[in-house]
Amino acid sequence: MRSISLIFKQFSRSVLLVAGFAVWGFSAQAQGDAAKGEALFKTKCTTCHKIDVRLTGPALGPTIASETDDKWLTHWIQNNQALIAAKDPKALAIYNQYNQQAMTVFTELSDADAGNIIAYVRDDWKKMQSAKPAAGAPGAATAAAVDNGPSDLVIYGLIAVIVIAFIVILVLNKVIATLERLLLNKRGLLPEEPEVTEEHEPVDRLAILKKIAKNKKLVFFILLCGTIALGSWTWVSLWNTNVHTGYQPVQPIKFPHDLHAGVMKINCQYCHSGAYKSKNASIPSLNVCMNCHKVVKTESPEIHKIYDALGYDSQTQKYDSTKAKPIQWVRIHNLPDFAYFNHSQHVKVAGLKCQQCHGPVETMKEVYQYSPLTMKWCIQCHKRTDVNMKGNAYYEKMVAVHELIKRNGRVTEAMMGGIECGKCHY
Amino acid sequence: MLAMNKFRILGLAVITIAASIVVTSCKDKRSTGWEYAPNMYEHIAYDPDQKNPNFKDGKTAQVPPAGTVPVGFVKFDYPNTKDGYEQSGLEAKNPLAASEQNLADGQVLFEHFCSPCHGTSGQGDGLVVQHGFPPPPSYSKGQSSRGGAMKDLTDGKIYHTITYGVNAMGSYASQLAPEERWKVIMYVHHLQTL
Repeated sequence: MRSISLIFKQFSRSVLLVAGFAVWGFSAQAQGDAAKGEALFKTKCTTCHKIDVRLTGPALGPTIASETDDKWLTHWIQNNQALIAAKDPKALAIYNQYNQQAMTVFTELSDADAGNIIAYVRDDWKKMQSAKPAAGAPGAATAAAVDNGPSDLVIYGLIAVIVIAFIVILVLNKVIATLERLLLNKRGLLPEEPEVTEEHEPVDRLAILKKIAKNKKLVFFILLCGTIALGSWTWVSLWNTNVHTGYQPVQPIKFPHDLHAGVMKINCQYCHSGAYKSKNASIPSLNVCMNCHKVVKTESPEIHKIYDALGYDSQTQKYDSTKAKPIQWVRIHNLPDFAYFNHSQHVKVAGLKCQQCHGPVETMKEVYQYSPLTMKWCIQCHKRTDVNMKGNAYYEKMVAVHELIKRNGRVTEAMMGGIECGKCHY
Repeated sequence: MLAMNKFRILGLAVITIAASIVVTSCKDKRSTGWEYAPNMYEHIAYDPDQKNPNFKDGKTAQVPPAGTVPVGFVKFDYPNTKDGYEQSGLEAKNPLAASEQNLADGQVLFEHFCSPCHGTSGQGDGLVVQHGFPPPPSYSKGQSSRGGAMKDLTDGKIYHTITYGVNAMGSYASQLAPEERWKVIMYVHHLQTL
């Protein structure tokens, strides 16, 4: 009995297992197309294509969904150049519409591979379209709410609260005064009061002032406090006159340095390439923005400010220079003309990090002036910094001359270039 | 009367708080603060990135007049077409000596200008790509969209691409001087072998 039940148990188990595997395998095969296609799409196509929007090449979702000739699509995917060379009318139309940019040839993809990719794109495009109506308004609303900086709002709110509190106090004061008057009225003491107060008050006040004026210690104390307060205020505000530390103007485009330099770790030089080779660190021209933003974040309103300034149409990816208008960035760091400062000398020769003067820019959502840029600040650093003379031809020559002086004890005019032609015959 | 006094004290406190807030908010981060003799600090000369009323389009940075060549400008005579690309690939050669120093400079420039997308090892896996930028093909394993393997790209083809850009990549002519481009190419050739 036992053995029969055991055998039956084993048998049923194996049957169940086999059935389970069969079902699993079947379903996997049914999905196989799109899943394989997705892997291929991600390795081969994403360089130039997106499913929903135009990148270098067309948006594949609508294009492939509307094209019914799978054979032609497979041909195009495998070797678009051959189709163009054969003057296929459809291929030529696409080639010309996308500025005659050539698509990579994928001869290594089999017909089945191409079919998988097509299946995946159609599948994904269908999913995107069905998901679209659901995700609409709420996302936009939260994004707008997040954008608002709290600082101004908080300050104005505080001031408003204080003003309201003050008004309430005044009103309450008045109410109490009238109530008190009413009380007195009830007792029958009112009629002559107002006249009396009007006559007496000014006299009273003067008397208090006279009393205070007579107390010389108090007068001295008040004068001392006043002098100290005014003096320190003058001292601080004079020191801070023309010093713009903390200056954080509103820029025409909200460029977040914390995202670009912090999260993406894009080197400062990528945009401010002048810092390594010239006096000016240079504000990047918009073509530098377009290196990335031709492709990413194309829907952001801030990025559309760049497009507007360039006269760029993101649909056709063409520039119209007649519509271009410059963006007026607001200068933060301003060094007067009478002080010469050269970025390349500090960055390239001295090897300073940008952050030493500009602060932690990679954490700033909005850039502010970190250093005071005063003469004292410059000189302090110049007094404390050791010069690195190694690998610098200019300084090495200088050191050599010093060595020479130490050894010889004398340096002639000729040794310092005094008999160069240009010294006399310039 | 006691109640009145209490209110007066409270009122005074509120006034002082309000006054102190007003006084401290004078240090507004949106303003440069007090200025003395600002005409000493305002530039007399026009900066290249500031506006300028003397020109029609209001910019100081003007495009050089047509037909002129800036001092020190290095010409690159191959047009931004497929033929220009192929021609440049055949003819343009790196004029710089293959020295250690040039290669080291090239590496620094590559890391600053190219690695955000191409990755420090040229595999097309830079940080910007990891955040959603379309990945460029790997230098050592990828296929070029203009035919051939990426590892077979010649001096002139890479120079043409850096100068004009291709596909999602923009032109780097404004960020990299010709000499710097050649240094970068030296380092890219090294990455092609990885």
